[in-house]
Amino acid sequence: MGNKLKITINGETVEVEKGTSILDAAKQVGVIIPTLCYHKDLCVAGNCRVCVVEIAGQKRLAAACATPCEEGMDVLTNTHKVRNSRKHIIELLLSEHNADCTSCYKNGNCELQLLASEYKIMNQDFIHLVPFKNYTVDMFSPSIIKDDSKCIRCQRCVRTCAELQSVNALTMSYKGEHAKITTFFEKSMNDVVCTNCGQCINHCPTGALVEKNYIEEVWSAIADKNKYVVVQTAPAVRVGLGEELGFDPGERVTGKMVAALKRLGFDAVMDTDFTADLTIMEEGTELLTRLKGALVDKNPDIKLPMATSCSPGWIKFIEHMYPDYLGNLSTCKSPQQMFGALVKTYYAKARKIEPDKIVSVSIMPCTAKKFEASRPEMHDSGYRDVDYVLTTRELAIMIKQAGIDFMKLNDMHYDRLMGESTGAGVIFGATGGVMEAALRTAYELVTGREVPFENLNINPVRGMEGVKEASVKIEKPLSEWSFLEGVELRCAVAHGLVNAKKVMDAIKAGKANYHFIEFMACPGGCLGGGGQPIPTSPEIRKRRAEAIYAEDAGMPLRKSHQNPEVVKIYKDFLGKPLGEKSHHLLHTKYVPRKRY
Amino acid sequence: MNATVESRVDTAIIDEIISRHKGKPGELLTVMEEVQEASEFKFLDDASMEYLSSQTRVPLSRIYSVATFYSFFNLKPQGKHSLIVCRGTACHTKGSKVLLDDLALLPGCKEAFDSGETTFTTEDKQITVKTVACFGQCALAPVVAVDGVIYSNVTSEQIKKLLQNLQEDNKDENFRLS
Repeated sequence: MGNKLKITINGETVEVEKGTSILDAAKQVGVIIPTLCYHKDLCVAGNCRVCVVEIAGQKRLAAACATPCEEGMDVLTNTHKVRNSRKHIIELLLSEHNADCTSCYKNGNCELQLLASEYKIMNQDFIHLVPFKNYTVDMFSPSIIKDDSKCIRCQRCVRTCAELQSVNALTMSYKGEHAKITTFFEKSMNDVVCTNCGQCINHCPTGALVEKNYIEEVWSAIADKNKYVVVQTAPAVRVGLGEELGFDPGERVTGKMVAALKRLGFDAVMDTDFTADLTIMEEGTELLTRLKGALVDKNPDIKLPMATSCSPGWIKFIEHMYPDYLGNLSTCKSPQQMFGALVKTYYAKARKIEPDKIVSVSIMPCTAKKFEASRPEMHDSGYRDVDYVLTTRELAIMIKQAGIDFMKLNDMHYDRLMGESTGAGVIFGATGGVMEAALRTAYELVTGREVPFENLNINPVRGMEGVKEASVKIEKPLSEWSFLEGVELRCAVAHGLVNAKKVMDAIKAGKANYHFIEFMACPGGCLGGGGQPIPTSPEIRKRRAEAIYAEDAGMPLRKSHQNPEVVKIYKDFLGKPLGEKSHHLLHTKYVPRKRY
Repeated sequence: MNATVESRVDTAIIDEIISRHKGKPGELLTVMEEVQEASEFKFLDDASMEYLSSQTRVPLSRIYSVATFYSFFNLKPQGKHSLIVCRGTACHTKGSKVLLDDLALLPGCKEAFDSGETTFTTEDKQITVKTVACFGQCALAPVVAVDGVIYSNVTSEQIKKLLQNLQEDNKDENFRLS
């Protein structure tokens, strides 16, 4: 006993660990208690009150999410009093909510709408306050739309921004009936520290926070006969998209997704994995060059540890929070932007298409990618390198609009030239994946042998631990890398910006001596990205990660440098990693920003 | 946003305030209070809040959250004199809306309150009119406070006189009315 206690829920006895909430205990006996402000990723707030239950002997109802079980507690979840209270709470929330559901982007995927439907809120006993409130809609960000008229002030976004991301762009301001979620001085999301990661969107129960969608723009491009529309798909999309289209979390739908994209009318369907492999070639070479500069030439200007630069949310975070460390960032563009720069140069030339006729679209698990594509630095092809960025969710909407029966599609293959991928490219979608892919290639480049882990699986960098560490000792390197003999390459992996902050603070305090660090803005890496299907939870992210590693394990080629199309692009177009053309097309600069 | 360069609190003063309260409980509130006090127009300007955030590492949004939660903090420049009209239930039933409307003598005042504002400052920064929810002096309703002194059972004639005295900088005359 000791740590266990017994309670009854609706007469049924359940034994739970001490500290378990009534909400979790009820789940164990198959009793569902509705929630709104509660989210598994976040601390308990207990402010929406819709999870109220009756406890025998207590006059007042208790919030199930915020009340721990006590020995002998007799909980009732389905009494007249409970049902009536919940109904009134939902009615009160709706009285301040712009419930114009048919014209809402979240129509059909809204927790408040679902509750209103379950409790059959047919008539409003309360005055509808929306017309009296001066609600604002912020549409200035290229990634996120914030509509206060849909907000129920559950503060899931505020907690997400603070607890998961330590960005603190959003806060609760004012009080009572004037309370609202704002940024500093109610500036636009575009003008504050917001990293565009989109985690607030993933955690918002209503339509108050949604992505800025570019669906109509892409439909127009596809319909334009004069345009050649190329699409790229990020690694994590293939393990998330299925959830929007009837599959369980963790289903790999790569082949079906390619088939669907072709049916939608894209002229070429290619893979961001290809440029993920290319990133490894460029970034791996950059790391080795930096190590040589630091260890052999003792050049004090060489910045170590080197940090990855694939995640645009992380990039904006470091630009705001640690502008003194921008020299530590790899100069490599993200795979999306490498693809964008190459599609209007290399691909256009090879396929003899005028680059100004190409519309470059990307499907990303990410909302920050929308911002990244709009950065002024991202025009190295002479055009905007990536024209439109769609999230996994937006692609699912297009597939539904097009009337495609996704389940029935036969698998198809990516188009050639920039559509080949290795397992290393695929695992970019999971936290630790870039590190693993880089080690697979860098170790082999240096020693001529495979990385010393069973089946190439570098397990220490896998999994959902917030900060992971690994080290690889380099023995018997090839002669040109002899300076690395006996060097222990120390690596770290951080996902979720709150963990990125921990690592950066350790570096700042001089308490970390890594060589190479992978940073991903979102929990779980891209598979938990702000553009992925809603809902998200630790369990769902775990299943998506399993799918990513299964995809990798099933690939015939699992090391980036083996990708035949990568070999070909260096031979035909780029020359060598970090060469002049690479420098111009595949690398970039960063901008220091202020902290608000 | 709302701060002219001249109205910003000197960073050296903010540094001094922070160092005096470092590590004490309720540090942020006290620091914010003193920064507001140090400002010429008794308000927290955006630049001072930004500086405060960068020095204390408290997120800027959280400082804004605290500043908007407490009606004590001002986000706009305040006038030399303050005139606070209670709009609590008791004062409302005793006609405090009429008192507020009487202040239409100040151009722009009525328009500001009718549009939902809770504070108005004259262009010459001489007088700030505010409303509050309750002074806790309901038995004396309607109540107004002028420069921190409470006046009870206020009539239209009285509030106009109080305002006139403020405009004429005639403090003693107002004290006698209290």
